[in-house]
Amino acid sequence: MHKYLNTPIKEVIMKFPQVGKILEEYKIGCVPCTLGSCLLKDIVAIHNLSQAQETELIYRIEKTIYPQRDIKRPAFKQAAKKTAVKEIKYSPVIKRLIDEHALIKKWIGLIPEVIENVDIASDSGKKLILDGLDFIRFYADKFHHAKEEDILFGYTDKNLDIIKTMLADHETARGHVQAMIRALDKGDKKTVFAHLNAYKELLSEHIKREDEILYPWIDRSISTTQVGELFTKFNEAEEKLDKEVIEKCKKFVQEVEQRVQKIKTEKKEVTK
Amino acid sequence: MSDSGMGGCPGSRMQDFREDTKGGKVEGGVRQSQLKQWPIQLHLVSPEAPYYQKADVLLSADCVAFTVGDFHKDYLKGKSVAIACPKLDEGQEEYTEKVKSLIDDAKINTLTVMTMQVPCCAGLVAIAEEALHSAKRKIPIKSIVVSLQGDVLSEEWVS
Repeated sequence: MHKYLNTPIKEVIMKFPQVGKILEEYKIGCVPCTLGSCLLKDIVAIHNLSQAQETELIYRIEKTIYPQRDIKRPAFKQAAKKTAVKEIKYSPVIKRLIDEHALIKKWIGLIPEVIENVDIASDSGKKLILDGLDFIRFYADKFHHAKEEDILFGYTDKNLDIIKTMLADHETARGHVQAMIRALDKGDKKTVFAHLNAYKELLSEHIKREDEILYPWIDRSISTTQVGELFTKFNEAEEKLDKEVIEKCKKFVQEVEQRVQKIKTEKKEVTK
Repeated sequence: MSDSGMGGCPGSRMQDFREDTKGGKVEGGVRQSQLKQWPIQLHLVSPEAPYYQKADVLLSADCVAFTVGDFHKDYLKGKSVAIACPKLDEGQEEYTEKVKSLIDDAKINTLTVMTMQVPCCAGLVAIAEEALHSAKRKIPIKSIVVSLQGDVLSEEWVS
Protein backbone atom coordinates (compact mmCIF):
# COMPACT_ATOMS: atom_id res chain seq x y z
CA MET A 1 0.00 0.00 0.00
CA HIS A 2 2.93 2.31 0.77
CA LYS A 3 3.82 2.18 -2.93
CA TYR A 4 0.38 3.38 -4.03
CA LEU A 5 0.12 6.05 -1.33
CA ASN A 6 3.20 7.58 -2.99
CA THR A 7 1.87 7.23 -6.54
CA PRO A 8 0.27 10.09 -8.53
CA ILE A 9 -3.50 9.76 -8.35
CA LYS A 10 -3.96 9.58 -12.12
CA GLU A 11 -1.85 6.44 -12.29
CA VAL A 12 -3.74 4.90 -9.40
CA ILE A 13 -7.14 5.64 -10.97
CA MET A 14 -6.03 4.41 -14.40
CA LYS A 15 -4.94 1.14 -12.89
CA PHE A 16 -7.84 0.85 -10.44
CA PRO A 17 -10.83 2.87 -11.74
CA GLN A 18 -12.85 1.87 -8.69
CA VAL A 19 -10.55 4.05 -6.57
CA GLY A 20 -11.82 7.12 -8.45
CA LYS A 21 -15.40 6.14 -7.64
CA ILE A 22 -14.55 5.63 -3.97
CA LEU A 23 -12.88 9.06 -3.83
CA GLU A 24 -15.98 10.63 -5.37
CA GLU A 25 -18.09 9.18 -2.57
CA TYR A 26 -16.00 11.29 -0.21
CA LYS A 27 -16.43 14.35 -2.47
CA ILE A 28 -12.82 14.07 -3.62
CA GLY A 29 -13.04 14.92 -7.30
CA CYS A 30 -9.74 13.67 -8.71
CA VAL A 31 -11.26 11.81 -11.68
CA PRO A 32 -11.79 14.84 -13.96
CA CYS A 33 -8.46 16.45 -12.98
CA THR A 34 -6.35 16.98 -16.07
CA LEU A 35 -3.00 16.69 -14.31
CA GLY A 36 -3.59 14.13 -11.59
CA SER A 37 -0.05 14.42 -10.33
CA CYS A 38 -0.96 14.70 -6.62
CA LEU A 39 0.10 11.70 -4.58
CA LEU A 40 -2.67 9.54 -3.13
CA LYS A 41 -1.39 10.14 0.44
CA ASP A 42 -1.49 13.94 -0.04
CA ILE A 43 -5.00 13.76 -1.43
CA VAL A 44 -6.22 11.83 1.57
CA ALA A 45 -4.48 14.21 3.96
CA ILE A 46 -5.60 17.44 2.35
CA HIS A 47 -9.37 16.90 2.30
CA ASN A 48 -10.30 17.67 5.92
CA LEU A 49 -11.84 14.28 6.52
CA SER A 50 -12.55 13.12 10.03
CA GLN A 51 -10.26 10.46 11.46
CA ALA A 52 -13.01 7.84 10.97
CA GLN A 53 -13.57 8.87 7.35
CA GLU A 54 -9.85 8.82 6.60
CA THR A 55 -9.40 5.36 8.13
CA GLU A 56 -12.39 4.03 6.22
CA LEU A 57 -11.24 5.57 2.94
CA ILE A 58 -7.76 4.06 3.18
CA TYR A 59 -9.23 0.69 4.09
CA ARG A 60 -11.56 0.71 1.08
CA ILE A 61 -8.81 1.78 -1.31
CA GLU A 62 -6.46 -0.89 0.01
CA LYS A 63 -9.21 -3.51 -0.33
CA THR A 64 -9.73 -2.41 -3.96
CA ILE A 65 -6.04 -2.57 -4.82
CA TYR A 66 -5.37 -5.83 -2.98
CA PRO A 67 -8.65 -7.79 -3.05
CA GLN A 68 -6.88 -11.05 -2.16
CA ARG A 69 -5.19 -9.62 0.91
CA ASP A 70 -6.60 -10.30 4.31
CA ILE A 71 -6.91 -6.72 5.49
CA LYS A 72 -8.42 -6.26 8.88
CA ARG A 73 -11.43 -4.01 8.81
CA PRO A 74 -10.62 -1.11 11.14
CA ALA A 75 -13.05 -0.19 13.86
CA PHE A 76 -15.07 2.70 12.54
CA LYS A 77 -18.69 3.66 12.47
CA GLN A 78 -20.49 2.58 9.30
CA ALA A 79 -22.00 6.00 8.89
CA ALA A 80 -18.60 7.68 8.83
CA LYS A 81 -18.68 8.61 5.15
CA LYS A 82 -22.12 10.16 5.51
CA THR A 83 -20.90 12.52 8.20
CA ALA A 84 -20.97 16.09 6.98
CA VAL A 85 -17.63 17.69 6.31
CA LYS A 86 -16.64 19.89 9.25
CA GLU A 87 -17.90 23.44 9.02
CA ILE A 88 -15.25 25.72 7.61
CA LYS A 89 -14.70 29.11 9.18
CA TYR A 90 -12.07 30.91 7.20
CA SER A 91 -9.42 33.26 8.52
CA PRO A 92 -9.70 36.81 7.15
CA VAL A 93 -6.86 36.23 4.67
CA ILE A 94 -8.40 33.15 3.10
CA LYS A 95 -11.84 34.78 3.21
CA ARG A 96 -10.42 37.71 1.24
CA LEU A 97 -9.19 35.38 -1.51
CA ILE A 98 -12.53 33.57 -1.59
CA ASP A 99 -14.35 36.90 -1.88
CA GLU A 100 -12.10 37.77 -4.82
CA HIS A 101 -13.02 34.45 -6.39
CA ALA A 102 -16.67 35.44 -6.15
CA LEU A 103 -16.10 38.39 -8.51
CA ILE A 104 -13.97 36.32 -10.90
CA LYS A 105 -16.69 33.65 -10.94
CA LYS A 106 -19.25 36.32 -11.80
CA TRP A 107 -17.26 37.28 -14.89
CA ILE A 108 -16.54 33.74 -16.05
CA GLY A 109 -20.20 32.90 -15.44
CA LEU A 110 -21.09 35.60 -17.98
CA ILE A 111 -18.67 34.33 -20.63
CA PRO A 112 -21.14 31.91 -22.34
CA GLU A 113 -23.63 34.77 -22.73
CA VAL A 114 -20.90 37.02 -24.06
CA ILE A 115 -19.82 34.40 -26.60
CA GLU A 116 -23.39 33.91 -27.71
CA ASN A 117 -24.48 37.51 -27.87
CA VAL A 118 -21.55 39.83 -28.44
CA ASP A 119 -20.33 40.74 -31.91
CA ILE A 120 -16.62 41.35 -31.58
CA ALA A 121 -16.50 42.86 -35.04
CA SER A 122 -18.34 45.88 -33.63
CA ASP A 123 -16.44 48.55 -31.71
CA SER A 124 -18.50 48.02 -28.57
CA GLY A 125 -18.10 44.24 -28.81
CA LYS A 126 -14.36 44.50 -29.24
CA LYS A 127 -14.19 46.92 -26.30
CA LEU A 128 -16.11 44.53 -24.11
CA ILE A 129 -13.64 41.73 -24.86
CA LEU A 130 -10.68 44.04 -24.26
CA ASP A 131 -12.18 45.16 -20.95
CA GLY A 132 -12.75 41.52 -20.08
CA LEU A 133 -9.10 40.78 -20.80
CA ASP A 134 -8.11 43.75 -18.62
CA PHE A 135 -10.23 42.30 -15.85
CA ILE A 136 -8.42 38.98 -16.19
CA ARG A 137 -4.99 40.59 -16.31
CA PHE A 138 -5.42 43.15 -13.55
CA TYR A 139 -7.97 41.67 -11.20
CA ALA A 140 -7.73 37.89 -11.61
CA ASP A 141 -3.99 37.86 -12.23
CA LYS A 142 -2.18 40.88 -10.75
CA PHE A 143 -4.57 41.49 -7.88
CA HIS A 144 -5.52 37.91 -7.01
CA HIS A 145 -3.08 35.33 -8.42
CA ALA A 146 -0.10 37.50 -7.47
CA LYS A 147 -1.17 37.35 -3.81
CA GLU A 148 -1.13 33.58 -4.06
CA GLU A 149 2.13 33.28 -5.97
CA ASP A 150 4.16 35.97 -4.20
CA ILE A 151 2.76 35.60 -0.70
CA LEU A 152 0.39 32.77 0.22
CA PHE A 153 2.14 29.87 -1.51
CA GLY A 154 5.34 30.89 0.29
CA TYR A 155 3.66 29.58 3.44
CA THR A 156 3.29 26.13 1.85
CA ASP A 157 5.70 23.66 0.34
CA LYS A 158 5.96 24.87 -3.26
CA ASN A 159 7.04 21.38 -4.30
CA LEU A 160 3.64 19.98 -3.42
CA ASP A 161 1.85 18.78 -6.52
CA ILE A 162 -1.31 20.71 -5.74
CA ILE A 163 0.69 23.97 -5.60
CA LYS A 164 2.49 23.09 -8.84
CA THR A 165 -0.90 22.39 -10.44
CA MET A 166 -2.26 25.76 -9.32
CA LEU A 167 0.82 27.57 -10.64
CA ALA A 168 0.56 25.67 -13.93
CA ASP A 169 -3.10 26.76 -14.18
CA HIS A 170 -2.04 30.40 -13.74
CA GLU A 171 0.46 30.03 -16.59
CA THR A 172 -2.11 28.32 -18.83
CA ALA A 173 -4.56 31.15 -18.09
CA ARG A 174 -1.92 33.72 -19.09
CA GLY A 175 -1.38 31.78 -22.31
CA HIS A 176 -5.10 32.01 -23.12
CA VAL A 177 -5.02 35.77 -22.55
CA GLN A 178 -2.04 36.23 -24.89
CA ALA A 179 -3.72 34.06 -27.53
CA MET A 180 -6.90 36.12 -27.25
CA ILE A 181 -5.04 39.41 -27.66
CA ARG A 182 -3.32 38.11 -30.82
CA ALA A 183 -6.58 36.74 -32.25
CA LEU A 184 -8.45 39.93 -31.43
CA ASP A 185 -5.90 41.97 -33.40
CA LYS A 186 -6.57 39.77 -36.40
CA GLY A 187 -10.36 39.89 -35.88
CA ASP A 188 -10.32 36.10 -35.50
CA LYS A 189 -13.57 35.69 -33.60
CA LYS A 190 -13.45 31.89 -33.54
CA THR A 191 -10.05 31.77 -31.83
CA VAL A 192 -10.95 34.55 -29.37
CA PHE A 193 -14.04 32.70 -28.25
CA ALA A 194 -12.28 29.32 -28.17
CA HIS A 195 -9.68 30.70 -25.76
CA LEU A 196 -12.27 32.63 -23.77
CA ASN A 197 -14.23 29.45 -23.30
CA ALA A 198 -11.09 27.49 -22.42
CA TYR A 199 -10.23 30.17 -19.85
CA LYS A 200 -13.69 29.84 -18.35
CA GLU A 201 -13.38 26.05 -18.09
CA LEU A 202 -9.88 26.28 -16.60
CA LEU A 203 -10.70 28.94 -14.01
CA SER A 204 -14.00 27.34 -12.97
CA GLU A 205 -12.23 24.11 -12.05
CA HIS A 206 -9.22 25.97 -10.61
CA ILE A 207 -11.36 28.10 -8.29
CA LYS A 208 -13.41 25.10 -7.21
CA ARG A 209 -10.27 23.22 -6.20
CA GLU A 210 -8.91 26.22 -4.32
CA ASP A 211 -12.16 27.02 -2.52
CA GLU A 212 -12.93 23.44 -1.57
CA ILE A 213 -9.53 21.86 -1.06
CA LEU A 214 -6.46 24.06 -1.14
CA TYR A 215 -7.65 27.09 0.85
CA PRO A 216 -9.28 25.10 3.68
CA TRP A 217 -6.12 23.00 3.92
CA ILE A 218 -3.84 26.07 4.04
CA ASP A 219 -6.15 27.72 6.55
CA ARG A 220 -5.88 24.71 8.85
CA SER A 221 -2.10 24.71 8.48
CA ILE A 222 -1.28 28.35 9.24
CA SER A 223 -0.87 29.73 12.77
CA THR A 224 -2.48 32.85 14.21
CA THR A 225 0.84 34.67 13.79
CA GLN A 226 0.98 33.69 10.12
CA VAL A 227 -2.59 34.89 9.58
CA GLY A 228 -1.49 38.30 10.87
CA GLU A 229 1.61 38.31 8.66
CA LEU A 230 -0.38 37.35 5.57
CA PHE A 231 -2.99 40.00 6.37
CA THR A 232 -0.31 42.70 6.48
CA LYS A 233 1.44 41.42 3.34
CA PHE A 234 -1.84 41.29 1.40
CA ASN A 235 -2.56 44.89 2.43
CA GLU A 236 0.92 46.01 1.36
CA ALA A 237 0.57 44.22 -1.98
CA GLU A 238 -2.79 45.86 -2.62
CA GLU A 239 -1.45 49.29 -1.74
CA LYS A 240 1.11 48.99 -4.52
CA LEU A 241 -1.63 48.55 -7.11
CA ASP A 242 -3.64 51.28 -8.73
CA LYS A 243 -6.93 51.41 -6.79
CA GLU A 244 -8.74 52.99 -9.73
CA VAL A 245 -7.91 50.04 -11.99
CA ILE A 246 -9.28 47.60 -9.39
CA GLU A 247 -12.46 49.67 -9.04
CA LYS A 248 -12.77 49.74 -12.83
CA CYS A 249 -12.54 45.94 -12.85
CA LYS A 250 -15.31 45.67 -10.28
CA LYS A 251 -17.44 48.08 -12.29
CA PHE A 252 -16.74 46.11 -15.47
CA VAL A 253 -18.44 42.99 -14.11
CA GLN A 254 -21.52 45.03 -13.17
CA GLU A 255 -21.62 46.57 -16.64
CA VAL A 256 -21.32 43.22 -18.41
CA GLU A 257 -24.10 41.82 -16.24
CA GLN A 258 -26.33 44.74 -17.21
CA ARG A 259 -25.36 44.51 -20.88
CA VAL A 260 -26.03 40.77 -21.08
CA GLN A 261 -29.35 41.28 -19.34
CA LYS A 262 -30.25 44.03 -21.82
CA ILE A 263 -29.36 41.85 -24.82
CA LYS A 264 -31.43 38.98 -23.44
CA THR A 265 -34.41 41.28 -22.87
CA GLU A 266 -34.13 42.68 -26.41
CA LYS A 267 -33.97 39.15 -27.81
CA LYS A 268 -37.09 38.21 -25.93
CA GLU A 269 -38.85 41.26 -27.32
CA VAL A 270 -37.91 40.31 -30.89
CA THR A 271 -39.14 36.73 -30.52
CA LYS A 272 -42.52 37.90 -29.14
CA MET B 1 -22.22 20.06 37.96
CA SER B 2 -24.79 21.22 40.44
CA ASP B 3 -26.65 24.46 40.13
CA SER B 4 -28.01 26.54 42.97
CA GLY B 5 -31.29 26.57 41.07
CA MET B 6 -31.42 30.31 41.37
CA GLY B 7 -32.19 32.37 38.32
CA GLY B 8 -30.66 35.73 37.51
CA CYS B 9 -27.43 36.62 35.80
CA PRO B 10 -25.58 33.54 34.53
CA GLY B 11 -22.34 35.40 35.15
CA SER B 12 -22.85 35.44 38.92
CA ARG B 13 -25.13 32.44 39.50
CA MET B 14 -23.59 29.97 41.95
CA GLN B 15 -22.50 26.65 40.46
CA ASP B 16 -20.61 23.80 42.11
CA PHE B 17 -18.10 21.88 39.98
CA ARG B 18 -16.51 19.85 42.76
CA GLU B 19 -17.87 16.53 41.52
CA ASP B 20 -16.78 17.24 37.93
CA THR B 21 -13.18 17.94 38.83
CA LYS B 22 -12.74 14.76 40.88
CA GLY B 23 -10.56 12.06 39.40
CA GLY B 24 -8.58 14.35 37.11
CA LYS B 25 -5.11 13.15 36.27
CA VAL B 26 -2.51 14.48 38.68
CA GLU B 27 0.63 15.44 36.84
CA GLY B 28 4.01 15.89 38.39
CA GLY B 29 6.68 18.39 37.51
CA VAL B 30 6.71 22.13 37.36
CA ARG B 31 5.52 23.94 34.30
CA GLN B 32 7.16 27.10 33.07
CA SER B 33 5.00 30.22 33.17
CA GLN B 34 4.49 31.62 29.69
CA LEU B 35 3.93 35.17 30.92
CA LYS B 36 6.60 37.43 29.47
CA GLN B 37 5.60 40.84 30.81
CA TRP B 38 4.27 42.91 33.67
CA PRO B 39 1.83 44.60 34.17
CA ILE B 40 -1.04 42.80 32.51
CA GLN B 41 -4.20 44.70 33.53
CA LEU B 42 -5.49 46.70 30.56
CA HIS B 43 -5.65 49.97 32.54
CA LEU B 44 -2.02 49.54 33.57
CA VAL B 45 -0.37 48.34 30.38
CA SER B 46 1.32 50.70 27.96
CA PRO B 47 1.04 50.16 24.19
CA GLU B 48 4.57 51.57 23.99
CA ALA B 49 5.99 48.58 25.89
CA PRO B 50 8.48 46.68 23.72
CA TYR B 51 6.71 43.36 24.13
CA TYR B 52 3.62 44.73 22.38
CA GLN B 53 5.38 45.95 19.27
CA LYS B 54 4.20 43.92 16.25
CA ALA B 55 3.15 41.18 18.70
CA ASP B 56 0.32 38.70 18.69
CA VAL B 57 -1.73 40.00 21.60
CA LEU B 58 -4.12 38.08 23.82
CA LEU B 59 -6.88 40.18 25.38
CA SER B 60 -8.32 37.93 28.03
CA ALA B 61 -11.28 38.32 30.33
CA ASP B 62 -10.09 38.06 33.94
CA CYS B 63 -11.79 34.74 34.66
CA VAL B 64 -10.46 32.86 31.62
CA ALA B 65 -7.06 31.96 33.03
CA PHE B 66 -8.72 30.33 36.05
CA THR B 67 -11.02 28.13 33.99
CA VAL B 68 -8.77 26.91 31.18
CA GLY B 69 -6.42 24.26 32.58
CA ASP B 70 -3.80 24.68 29.90
CA PHE B 71 -4.11 28.44 29.53
CA HIS B 72 -0.37 29.10 29.63
CA LYS B 73 0.61 26.29 27.25
CA ASP B 74 -2.21 26.63 24.73
CA TYR B 75 -3.13 30.30 24.70
CA LEU B 76 -0.61 32.54 26.45
CA LYS B 77 2.54 31.03 24.96
CA GLY B 78 4.06 33.28 22.31
CA LYS B 79 1.66 36.15 22.99
CA SER B 80 1.70 39.42 24.87
CA VAL B 81 -1.29 39.80 27.12
CA ALA B 82 -3.75 42.25 28.59
CA ILE B 83 -6.61 41.35 30.90
CA ALA B 84 -9.85 43.09 31.74
CA CYS B 85 -13.35 42.48 33.02
CA PRO B 86 -16.02 43.96 30.76
CA LYS B 87 -18.61 43.58 33.51
CA LEU B 88 -17.00 45.07 36.58
CA ASP B 89 -14.16 47.32 35.44
CA GLU B 90 -14.65 51.07 35.32
CA GLY B 91 -13.41 53.43 32.64
CA GLN B 92 -14.03 51.08 29.74
CA GLU B 93 -13.92 53.89 27.19
CA GLU B 94 -10.20 54.00 27.99
CA TYR B 95 -10.03 50.32 27.11
CA THR B 96 -11.24 51.07 23.60
CA GLU B 97 -8.62 53.79 23.22
CA LYS B 98 -5.89 51.53 24.55
CA VAL B 99 -6.73 48.67 22.19
CA LYS B 100 -6.88 51.20 19.35
CA SER B 101 -3.40 52.35 20.34
CA LEU B 102 -2.16 48.76 20.37
CA ILE B 103 -3.43 48.42 16.80
CA ASP B 104 -2.21 51.77 15.45
CA ASP B 105 0.87 52.57 17.54
CA ALA B 106 2.21 49.20 18.65
CA LYS B 107 1.21 47.83 15.23
CA ILE B 108 0.26 44.51 16.73
CA ASN B 109 0.06 41.57 14.34
CA THR B 110 -3.15 39.95 15.61
CA LEU B 111 -5.55 40.27 18.52
CA THR B 112 -7.08 37.20 20.15
CA VAL B 113 -9.94 37.95 22.54
CA MET B 114 -10.69 35.22 25.06
CA THR B 115 -13.94 35.48 26.96
CA MET B 116 -16.23 33.39 29.13
CA GLN B 117 -19.51 32.08 27.80
CA VAL B 118 -21.51 34.36 30.11
CA PRO B 119 -23.31 37.13 28.17
CA CYS B 120 -21.64 40.07 29.90
CA CYS B 121 -18.23 38.85 28.73
CA ALA B 122 -19.12 39.52 25.09
CA GLY B 123 -18.50 43.18 25.90
CA LEU B 124 -14.76 42.56 25.60
CA VAL B 125 -15.13 41.45 21.97
CA ALA B 126 -17.27 44.55 21.38
CA ILE B 127 -14.49 46.74 22.81
CA ALA B 128 -11.96 45.11 20.47
CA GLU B 129 -14.23 45.51 17.44
CA GLU B 130 -14.96 49.13 18.27
CA ALA B 131 -11.25 49.83 18.65
CA LEU B 132 -10.55 48.18 15.30
CA HIS B 133 -13.33 50.15 13.67
CA SER B 134 -11.85 53.44 14.84
CA ALA B 135 -8.21 52.45 14.18
CA LYS B 136 -6.34 53.44 11.02
CA ARG B 137 -4.78 50.00 10.64
CA LYS B 138 -6.71 46.82 10.16
CA ILE B 139 -5.69 43.55 11.78
CA PRO B 140 -7.27 40.11 12.17
CA ILE B 141 -9.21 39.60 15.41
CA LYS B 142 -10.03 36.14 16.73
CA SER B 143 -12.64 35.41 19.37
CA ILE B 144 -12.35 32.37 21.64
CA VAL B 145 -15.22 31.65 24.01
CA VAL B 146 -14.72 29.21 26.89
CA SER B 147 -17.22 27.50 29.14
CA LEU B 148 -17.32 27.91 32.89
CA GLN B 149 -15.41 24.64 33.14
CA GLY B 150 -12.72 25.61 30.69
CA ASP B 151 -13.83 23.96 27.45
CA VAL B 152 -13.41 25.94 24.26
CA LEU B 153 -16.94 26.50 22.94
CA SER B 154 -16.02 28.46 19.84
CA GLU B 155 -12.95 29.82 18.13
CA GLU B 156 -13.45 32.04 15.13
CA TRP B 157 -12.08 35.04 13.33
CA VAL B 158 -14.40 37.99 13.77
CA SER B 159 -12.62 40.42 11.46
